[in-house]
Amino acid sequence: MDINEILRYMGCPPEQAAPQTRTLAEQAAVQMEQTARPRSVFRESGLSITGDGVLLESGLLLPGRDLAQHLAGCDRAVMLAVTLSAQADTLIRRAESRDMALALALDCAAAALVEEVCDRLEGEIFAKYPGCYFPFRFSPGYGDLPLSVQSGLLALLDAPRKIGLCANENHILTPRKSVTALIGVSREPVGRAVRSCQSCPGREGCQYRKSGGHCGAS
Amino acid sequence: MELHKLLEGNKPILLDGGMGTMLQAKGLKPGEPPELAALTHPDWLLDIHRAYVQAGAQIISASTFGANREKLARTGKTVAEVVPPTVEIARRAAGDQALVALDLGPIGQLLEPTGTLHFEDAVNIFKEVVRAGVQAGADLIFIETMTDLQETRAAVLAAKECCNLPILASMTYEANGRTFLGCDVASCALTLEGLGVDAIGVNCSLGPGQMEPMALDFLKWSTLPVLIKPNAGLPDPETGGYDITPEEFAQSLARLVDAGVKLVGGCCGTTPEYIRLLAQAVSDRTVPNLPRTVPAAVCSGTQTVPIDRVRVIGERLNPTGKKRMKQALLDGDVDYMLDQALEQTGAGADILDVNVGLPGIDEGEIMVRVVKALQGVTDAPLQLDSTDPQVLERALRVYCGKAIVNSVNGEDGVLDAILPLVKKYGAAVVGLTLDQGGIPKSAQARFNIAQKILQKALSCGIRREDVYIDCLTLTVSAEQEGAVQTLEALGRVKEELGLKTVLGVSNISFGLPVRPVVNQNFLMMAMTRGLDLPIINPNIEAMMAAVRSYHLLMNIDKEAREFIAAYGMESSQPQRAAASASSTRSLAEVVEAGLRGEAGPAVDALLETTPPMEIIDGILIPALDRVGARFEAGKVFLPQLIQAAGAAQAAFEVLRTHLAKSDGESVSRGTIVIATVKGDVHDIGKNIVRVLLENYGYRVIDLGKDVEPAAVVRAAREHKAPLVGLSALMTTTLKSMEETVDLLHREGVPCKVMVGGAVLTPGYAKQIGADFYARDAKQSVDIAKEVIG
Repeated sequence: MDINEILRYMGCPPEQAAPQTRTLAEQAAVQMEQTARPRSVFRESGLSITGDGVLLESGLLLPGRDLAQHLAGCDRAVMLAVTLSAQADTLIRRAESRDMALALALDCAAAALVEEVCDRLEGEIFAKYPGCYFPFRFSPGYGDLPLSVQSGLLALLDAPRKIGLCANENHILTPRKSVTALIGVSREPVGRAVRSCQSCPGREGCQYRKSGGHCGAS
Repeated sequence: MELHKLLEGNKPILLDGGMGTMLQAKGLKPGEPPELAALTHPDWLLDIHRAYVQAGAQIISASTFGANREKLARTGKTVAEVVPPTVEIARRAAGDQALVALDLGPIGQLLEPTGTLHFEDAVNIFKEVVRAGVQAGADLIFIETMTDLQETRAAVLAAKECCNLPILASMTYEANGRTFLGCDVASCALTLEGLGVDAIGVNCSLGPGQMEPMALDFLKWSTLPVLIKPNAGLPDPETGGYDITPEEFAQSLARLVDAGVKLVGGCCGTTPEYIRLLAQAVSDRTVPNLPRTVPAAVCSGTQTVPIDRVRVIGERLNPTGKKRMKQALLDGDVDYMLDQALEQTGAGADILDVNVGLPGIDEGEIMVRVVKALQGVTDAPLQLDSTDPQVLERALRVYCGKAIVNSVNGEDGVLDAILPLVKKYGAAVVGLTLDQGGIPKSAQARFNIAQKILQKALSCGIRREDVYIDCLTLTVSAEQEGAVQTLEALGRVKEELGLKTVLGVSNISFGLPVRPVVNQNFLMMAMTRGLDLPIINPNIEAMMAAVRSYHLLMNIDKEAREFIAAYGMESSQPQRAAASASSTRSLAEVVEAGLRGEAGPAVDALLETTPPMEIIDGILIPALDRVGARFEAGKVFLPQLIQAAGAAQAAFEVLRTHLAKSDGESVSRGTIVIATVKGDVHDIGKNIVRVLLENYGYRVIDLGKDVEPAAVVRAAREHKAPLVGLSALMTTTLKSMEETVDLLHREGVPCKVMVGGAVLTPGYAKQIGADFYARDAKQSVDIAKEVIG
């Protein structure tokens, strides 16, 4: 795992990390990798862009402007869901009652790991569409895409049964260290814009931004 | 046809095959809710059910898998609209050829602690489905494809509490033998057989080959009929097809019938053809009647502890004689309990005793809270320790696994009140050899009480392996002849009654010098006489050393592996040396460097010369202020701030214990209630805030995560807190934060409110009526200083 990424999530610029902070991040990375049981599922869906947002072929509407804009030129998208499992949550919880610094490091290691798993999965997905182009993966909570689409996406992916990923009544993913996203598939080149904090509602108080990083979370 | 007759016979019982994949084959579109098929495509359902009955299925499952109110919510339909017609279609297809099962699948939301759904809410969700299904004429309940043992328990209790129909229960496993949530076969089997289901097993996720080890494990860990419903092999990710032919499927399952599996059918990807060939393959077979005995064992939702050697029960979660623990219970400081729990399991405890009985607290409520919290952090099974049957029932209800109830004794009133609970929730029970006449002096009289307890337990339907007898340790300095009687009774209970034995050990030495020596030797004597479950403080090395030595000398610890793992590492020597060499650092240096391990000794040294408040005001707080200032200046970062806080926390822990012992002044500057709001599960930020606030000497009442607005109001009132802190991480839970602030205002609670969390902004904080917005943990301390001083 990329220790610098974990340090950034911890609110600590990697080049200024104290040796003991780096050691902590390294320990957390080892523990999290040993404990987490990453699982993922993905599925392609046709889509059309309407005045209300993005309409998936199943009839699920993903409302708002931002995703529609983001998927301009894509006639399909791959929906994906990734979770590090309940065991990752338990490991963090266990540390929280004894050692908050370790808990923070584990929490951040999990955030980094779930992104790594997404990146690997993305690589697999790209390989299935030779000659196609992909805008960056877009998650509920980005821009004006509401979190309330989580349960619909999870149901389409059969994620509760296939990987044990659910959403609670407030559309929070459980287990916590999980991601859902859509990757547009286009036959024409698209600008693979980098995800940005500009549209994030949490940007004001964001710990990750302060240290020059990015949360990666939905 | 009755299920009980089928289960009693020696013929295999045929279940049906896949429903979801069959509906898709009929044309059900992706995303279309299968639970509405009875309303939208009744003819499809009828066809599929009929095909399974014709293929030979003796039990068919109505398509009610997802027909609970949570999953139906997105369809706009109710349980009452969906379940009856769904069961009726199955009924019609079954005729008198097959039984109809009301099928209960997962709710679709995770229960605590991974999710936020409360246990009793889950029970009620299932009850609604069960009532509707029973009324519509279901013959039995089939709970299936579960990944969470706690959710399975909720479904079983729901079924038991609103009908008398037989229950089949099945979970779904990964190839490593665990469910997504980490439940293993042994824990599932012990727990569900304890709850009184009629058959037990495994379905979905895997093909018949991969399921074999799990089926065999179920045969080993339960005496119930075992069921399996595998998929038609593994799915092809490209085509969605499955890789095993009906012939292979039938042959694999037939072999498992020969191994003792009684109920067979198929899950995803299987069709009536699979069931037809399966029926042919098993038609002339009988299920062997194997002798099956399940050893004495207890479990959590993720770990089974067989009582097949000495197993240590940690005694520390008990306020008796522990002022610091009492204070933690009064403050609702669950984290202190968790810390004590993890310290004990780290030292070698296999099982943890939990006793929260203390005047002035709601024992039942705290017990439930502590049991839930413990299950969120430890795999160790729990021993639920209370004299109040109502407290025990509340604890047993939320306990996921097979617990030990501590305790009953020979009094009829106690036995009649508690044994039915032990039976209902499938626990094991400790029987104390005392009665209304007190503790008998003689071994014979104690043995007689043990016998009485055993008879009563057996007559309640509790199995012999689940009765553990405590022959009671008396203080040897007061009654020197007592120790011999205890050991004699223990030996006889073990030999003559064949029961497991339990004993609290440390009482033996009360009032004597060198107590650890006496305790250690008494423990060794008791183990030699057959003690299985010593209740001890595992943090005292001499006690664990006795247990490890016993296992070594009795040839239980093969090749001395555990003994060498515990004592063979020479590296423990230099570590100790390093700790003592570095103790020359001052407390301020220790805190600023975040050296948690050195903080306690540094405070101990200072306490010899300096009053506690002076240590706090003169050393700890200024050191934290310096770290805080460097954090604000961007010279140190969040991890170091937290590490410094962790070191200060360790220092405070020593001061608190010191003050609790001396009944001196409190270290509190004032009380702050904090909570992560209703619906939100992200609480690490709040927990960081708590540690920092505690470091500045504030008493923090931490209500945890997913907290109801009313609970915040109640706590703020009860503790007269001048400041309340609320956190929310997600945009979707900001409304809960607003509701909480609003309720505090409407109820006129005289407190200020600070709020924080990733998605909050100062503007929004103001808009919802909060008094302060805290950007980070450090700022929350500044706010506390401003409000409280």
